[in-house]
Amino acid sequence: MRYRIAAVASLAALSLSACAGGGTPATTTTAPAASGQELAVPTKPVTITFEEAMTIGTLKPAMEKLVSDFQAKYPNITVKLQGDPDYATMYTKEKAEVQAGNAPTMGQAYESWASYFQSGGALTPISELAGTDTPTEMSTFYKGVQKDLALGDGKTWMWPFNKSVLILFSNADMLKADGQAAPKTWDDYASVMKAVSKNGVTGSTIDPGSATAAAFGTQWFEILDKSNGGTLYDADGTPHLNDAGAVTALTYLKSLKDAGALATGKNYPGETALGAKKGAFDISSAAGYGFEKATVGGKFNLGISALPAGPAGPVNELTGTNIVVFKNASTDQKAAAWAFLKFITSPAEQAGWASTSGYLPVTAQALPLMQDFVAKNPYETAAVSELDTAFALPPHSWIFKCQGYEATAIQDVLDNGAAPTAALGTAQTACTAAKAQG
Amino acid sequence: MTATTTARPALATGGRRPRRRAPARDFRTTRWGWAYSAPAVLIFAAFVIVPTGYTFYVSLWKWNALNPAMSVYRGLGNYQRLFDATQPTFLSSLWHSLYFSGAMVVGGTALSLALALLLQRGGALLNASRVALFLPHATPMIATSMIWVWIFNPRFGLADWMLHSLHLPTSQWLQSSTSAMPAVIVYSLWHEVGFTTVVFLGGLAVLPNELSEAARMDGCSAWQEFWHITWHQLRPVTVFVVAITAITSLQAFTQFYQLSDGGPVYATTTLSYLVYQEAFVLSDTGYGAALAVVLFAVTVFFTLVRRRTATGADSALT
Repeated sequence: MRYRIAAVASLAALSLSACAGGGTPATTTTAPAASGQELAVPTKPVTITFEEAMTIGTLKPAMEKLVSDFQAKYPNITVKLQGDPDYATMYTKEKAEVQAGNAPTMGQAYESWASYFQSGGALTPISELAGTDTPTEMSTFYKGVQKDLALGDGKTWMWPFNKSVLILFSNADMLKADGQAAPKTWDDYASVMKAVSKNGVTGSTIDPGSATAAAFGTQWFEILDKSNGGTLYDADGTPHLNDAGAVTALTYLKSLKDAGALATGKNYPGETALGAKKGAFDISSAAGYGFEKATVGGKFNLGISALPAGPAGPVNELTGTNIVVFKNASTDQKAAAWAFLKFITSPAEQAGWASTSGYLPVTAQALPLMQDFVAKNPYETAAVSELDTAFALPPHSWIFKCQGYEATAIQDVLDNGAAPTAALGTAQTACTAAKAQG
Repeated sequence: MTATTTARPALATGGRRPRRRAPARDFRTTRWGWAYSAPAVLIFAAFVIVPTGYTFYVSLWKWNALNPAMSVYRGLGNYQRLFDATQPTFLSSLWHSLYFSGAMVVGGTALSLALALLLQRGGALLNASRVALFLPHATPMIATSMIWVWIFNPRFGLADWMLHSLHLPTSQWLQSSTSAMPAVIVYSLWHEVGFTTVVFLGGLAVLPNELSEAARMDGCSAWQEFWHITWHQLRPVTVFVVAITAITSLQAFTQFYQLSDGGPVYATTTLSYLVYQEAFVLSDTGYGAALAVVLFAVTVFFTLVRRRTATGADSALT
């Protein structure tokens, strides 16, 4: 009996110790660069891995071109893409890889994800790669993009990648037939939405998001709050989810729903409804232009315009992810990763990437190099200009949870008829608790 | 047992002292028994027992999954949070689990028994019906859930189109807190009833006819025959179906993940979905582990209750 107990105990201890050691970063074999010194591009063969969600679907050619251009310039560096079907899967994989001590060299990450990785000591700061917290390349990025690269400690931990803003897609023929013009303010928008909602058409259909994932409907609510002069989160992540601006924003959405001008759904419902001529508008990412165009399929003229403005002026929110470099990588891999990050944000590569992917270039120096694309897509100039002023939610790990509470409040109001004040009060309480948990 | 080895007369062996046979032992208690069992025991320990114990251990910490060395001991703090959490509340998730499980057990058992009675006679058409009924169970739940998301789409879906065509009131299905759980139950019954129907068909196939014939000769109605004879004899099968449905329903996850994402407004957030959401999406691993321990306890509780209430022949199935 004693032997049996000892055997089971040994097995349990072995398993526990194996699991407990899963997140310990591996030691690097080469010495890091001295503080203040940029990592030099390695000259010997090195392979780096990139966890991304770009190579599944229509973005694959654009992503592969970035990599092939880079490898042509640095033939000794191999970039191995680890493609995932969607962001949620990618995040789950990234977490599992870090926990297993087998993190990729780089990975796409939202701000709150980066904050979570950093809280576990899993990231490499940009200063360790560039020798400085503010590399010269940063100054060429749009201001909104520059602000989006730091975490709560004020240090730069991310590098920009697939950035975009929201724009307004519409059925231009339907609006014209109804004598409506593209709305300039959110009040105009409400009027037009209500006017066109007839004969089986609902002005717009949104995905409010869910407890586990924000969607464009969640971001629209955040934009409305800010355009009403509200601040959903302080820089330190303190929530104000039931302040006046937020209540006004959600009341606005509720009035549209009550008027039959707004519906809710899942899986890009606005795009589906617009393409089926059952919706007049869809608020979506500028990067979604290709998808919208394919869904419309030439059935009508697809209108594209900037988001309407609120009392506080035009407001937009950054969408898309940044790139983080994980700590487990060797010094050569980090150096290669840094070379890759600088390369893909260079003006020429950004021009090519933006023209083929639909995402916006993160540097203004790319625009003159993509004039053909701009000529064919006139919304591009207006969308890009918003990268200077577009906001991002503060980079704290609990913000991910709090966006879920926002989405739940929107669902509760639009689908269950709850009062905006009560629903947002519940979200505020939960978010405050999430911040306290850290 | 020993009496048979000691009572043999000496004559039977021609005066030689009989070889004393070792007392028979249960093979499972011998070293060879342990050796043969070891692979299965080790696999079970590695993938079930140790992870279960480890989950309880993690539930006592504010667990940093990326770097366990940075974890902070919380004692029973995560269990305390079960009663403090508001989005969603623990009790609402528990209620959703019981609601779903109850509907699946009652609805699934009744429906599959009824279908089995309809299909128990042979024939090409009925055999084809059996195959058609079982087919959904053989399909991957994640794939069929994606199709049902579109069937339940209130604007473009087949379900509302059919209701509308029949001049019946339509539903918001997965878009409404009141209809989301019934919609998930409809899907789950569609997917699961094929299996339990086949189990009942198996039970019906081996029932003796004598009692039914005697009952019919005594003037029993069809309902009386079913209630007092057929279903009574099917009791062990029914107990098995109830037990397996209750356990799988309490642990159901895929349909909630794909169809409703736990919403809207947590209306379909069950305990098992909440475990996933907290531990793997929101990275609150310690709290997720505490929820998993509670789910484990709930499942054990219902299993023990069922064992306790099992009598007679059906106890063999436990």
